[in-house]
Amino acid sequence: MLSSCAIINDIEIALCGTGGEWCKTGALALARAFKHLGLSVATYQDVPARILGGSVCHFVRARETPNFGLADSTDAAIVLDESAHEGLLDEMIRPGGFIIVDSDHSPYAARRRDDITWYDVPLDELAREEPDPRRARLAVALGVLANLIGIERDVLGDIVDQTAIDNGRRYAERMLSARFCGYAMQKRPDLDCLIMTGNDAIALGALAAGCRFMAAYPIAPATEIFELFGRHAPTFAAVALQAEDEIAAINMALGAAFAGARAMTATSGPGQALMTEAVTLAGSLEIPIVVAHCSRAGPSTGMPTKTEQADLAHLVFAGHGDAPRFVLAPGTVEDTFWLVVDAFNLAEKYQCPVFVLTEQALCRNAATLPRPDLAALKIDRGKLETRAVGENYKRFAFTADGVSPRVVPGVPRGMHLASGAEHDEAGTVTDDPANRERMMRKRMQKLRSARSDLPTHVEHGVANARIALFAYGSTRGPILEAQQNLMEAGIPTRFFQFRTLWPFPEDEVCAFAADADHLVVVEGSYTGQLHQLMRSAIGSSGGDPELISRFDGRPFQPKDISAYVKQLAVVRDVNFAR
Amino acid sequence: MRGESSRFETTTASWWCPGCGNNSVLTALHAALLEIGTQPKDIAFISGIGCSGKISGYLRSYAFHGLHGRTLPVATGIKFANRDLTVIAAGGDGDGYAIGSAHFIHTVRRNPDITYIVMDNGTYGLTHGQPSPTSAREGALPDSVLPPLDGLAIALAAGATFIARASSAHPARLSDLIRKALTHRGFAIVEVLSPCVVYGAERSNEQVYVEERIGYDRENRGAAFNLLTDAQTTPIGVIFQSSRPTFEEVCNLPERPLTTFPLSTQPEMFSSILDEHR
Repeated sequence: MLSSCAIINDIEIALCGTGGEWCKTGALALARAFKHLGLSVATYQDVPARILGGSVCHFVRARETPNFGLADSTDAAIVLDESAHEGLLDEMIRPGGFIIVDSDHSPYAARRRDDITWYDVPLDELAREEPDPRRARLAVALGVLANLIGIERDVLGDIVDQTAIDNGRRYAERMLSARFCGYAMQKRPDLDCLIMTGNDAIALGALAAGCRFMAAYPIAPATEIFELFGRHAPTFAAVALQAEDEIAAINMALGAAFAGARAMTATSGPGQALMTEAVTLAGSLEIPIVVAHCSRAGPSTGMPTKTEQADLAHLVFAGHGDAPRFVLAPGTVEDTFWLVVDAFNLAEKYQCPVFVLTEQALCRNAATLPRPDLAALKIDRGKLETRAVGENYKRFAFTADGVSPRVVPGVPRGMHLASGAEHDEAGTVTDDPANRERMMRKRMQKLRSARSDLPTHVEHGVANARIALFAYGSTRGPILEAQQNLMEAGIPTRFFQFRTLWPFPEDEVCAFAADADHLVVVEGSYTGQLHQLMRSAIGSSGGDPELISRFDGRPFQPKDISAYVKQLAVVRDVNFAR
Repeated sequence: MRGESSRFETTTASWWCPGCGNNSVLTALHAALLEIGTQPKDIAFISGIGCSGKISGYLRSYAFHGLHGRTLPVATGIKFANRDLTVIAAGGDGDGYAIGSAHFIHTVRRNPDITYIVMDNGTYGLTHGQPSPTSAREGALPDSVLPPLDGLAIALAAGATFIARASSAHPARLSDLIRKALTHRGFAIVEVLSPCVVYGAERSNEQVYVEERIGYDRENRGAAFNLLTDAQTTPIGVIFQSSRPTFEEVCNLPERPLTTFPLSTQPEMFSSILDEHR
């Protein structure tokens, strides 16, 4: 049943149990271990919305760079409490894989698949002598796993229960035959390689960009941004305020920004719904603000710990009336850090709200990234006057690019009224029609003026392939892997990865789509919100984009995309030759 | 250079009705600020929506006319970004005690060094006269009666450190109370009885002057609560005053404004933070 000790530098492992069994800690320690071996790591947590109990599954995928996230199947699993998963795991593990189970808590022995290897390990017994036996069960299992896949002991240094790991290793040495596989291990860990979640990257990117004020209300899956920002705030002369609700949070941030601090808030769908009124206030008052949006499955309370991409329209069209905003979307944890830095510069340069749109799959899961080089970080505050202005200063002066020189309280002679009511250049409230028309054009001009400044899309794959894929965010990973798999099957594809979603990059999309036979949007949304924006942008002459959607709360896997594209080949008899 | 008396005047004349109590509030605020000596450039003045909300257009300052009921979070954010500013929030009774009630309670609890002026006229004037929380009526249904809400009693329960009520009919006293509120260290609320000449709804019970009450201890919360909740009378003056750390102090906000710190990060400072993610 066991393969011989081949070197495989691509493995996906699931740690499963009930909530509160340290699967998350164990998964992160395992992820770090792989990182120390020089591999690229991505993780994914599939957990219920509760504190203790319920069935949880933490995935760790390690491979040589690049790492695209969850693979089409899982190679191995540790299951601490089989009953919590009711046989679901059987389907998840690929033929030839293995599962480590607790020999005392394995009620489904009767209906086990015979194309995977089952290791029944007496976890309780091996963990019995440990200070915290319940926690140590997982460490024992990790010790067994480490032996099976050839990881050295000291690499799992993050685990507290080191003797439990040793117990597991020794058990495996004694009782289990041969290793499952091995790794090409590096001699030294790469200290320039970090591992963090998208939320970590948002908080750290914000602090690096000079954000000194954050107000937020706790909400899954955004809460960690606020916690990390708050933890480091004293080091930076920054402050994190927990507001009584999301309405207060965004209004606090607007106040801080009005007063001249770089300010942000972070939330998810339900919170954004509350913040919506403030979005067009920010647009009208021309106040810079960054909002990190961490999508989760909706609608309404939805599935708070599951992923989805159905908040795009919520942000693009947030607020009543017409007011400018930018929507940016990173595709990796590394991209998240740098896009947040961009967001603060863009917000101040164009004096409007900037959303950084991410989702549970990307923001709450850890992945490796190169250590950010802060020397490369640029801060641009735009047309900000901090010293003094002339007697005739007008806060909302008409300019060619729509951006007026900005002052903050304390600047002599800069006093003005910033009103959500329509106003003239000086800020005086008026509903004069000519002024209104001009002021509307001024504010909306920013969407055009910013085009060359906004984060550009990335094109992946074969430039003139007949099939063009379109997506943003965490779907980047599975699409890239699908592209590799499809290429091996003789099917080239091209992929347009959005990094700015609003203003919508119509010209770039049309140019990319122009000579493709099939346009396929891959999106975690039932209605296909990106798909609808694409259709508007392309128009009837540009082709009819199709949609692959997934809205079960789980991220895409490469096979979702490659199966669809292969079917295209069969059904449409498309000639894929270049 | 502007003359003293016009220091705070803007180019916009107020459009409140002749006789509106808010005119008096504006004049009193100008006078209080003149007396203290604050410069317009150092004032952040935040108002809400409604007739009262128009006040931010009439005080030469860095004025913020925002969302209905959301003045206090904005004011808190401004104060935290630049604690050297004199931060004044103002609005009507609906803005503060209805749609803004959650923020009112929590801002009081936090005690930032902010002054809050509530122009109470018992009505939603700008939308043509619906009853507000401080009136004795419910709403669209005829003859529906509810006990009026006392925002100051709520403030007391939430831990307010300066509670005062004034009347727009007595400008000198009003100006003095506003001045006291501005110089109070912490959150100070001045509710001003400011009648609407069009939609009426004045309080009918007797006004009593706190300073004329022999032996009244304005640092005694129980006494203040009894006074505020006595349905027969409306107390005027400084009703309660105490001292506790401001929200800025509780949050260990640096002495100098956040906005005076450089934005760029020293690489060494960040290095140890990034090391946590190795």
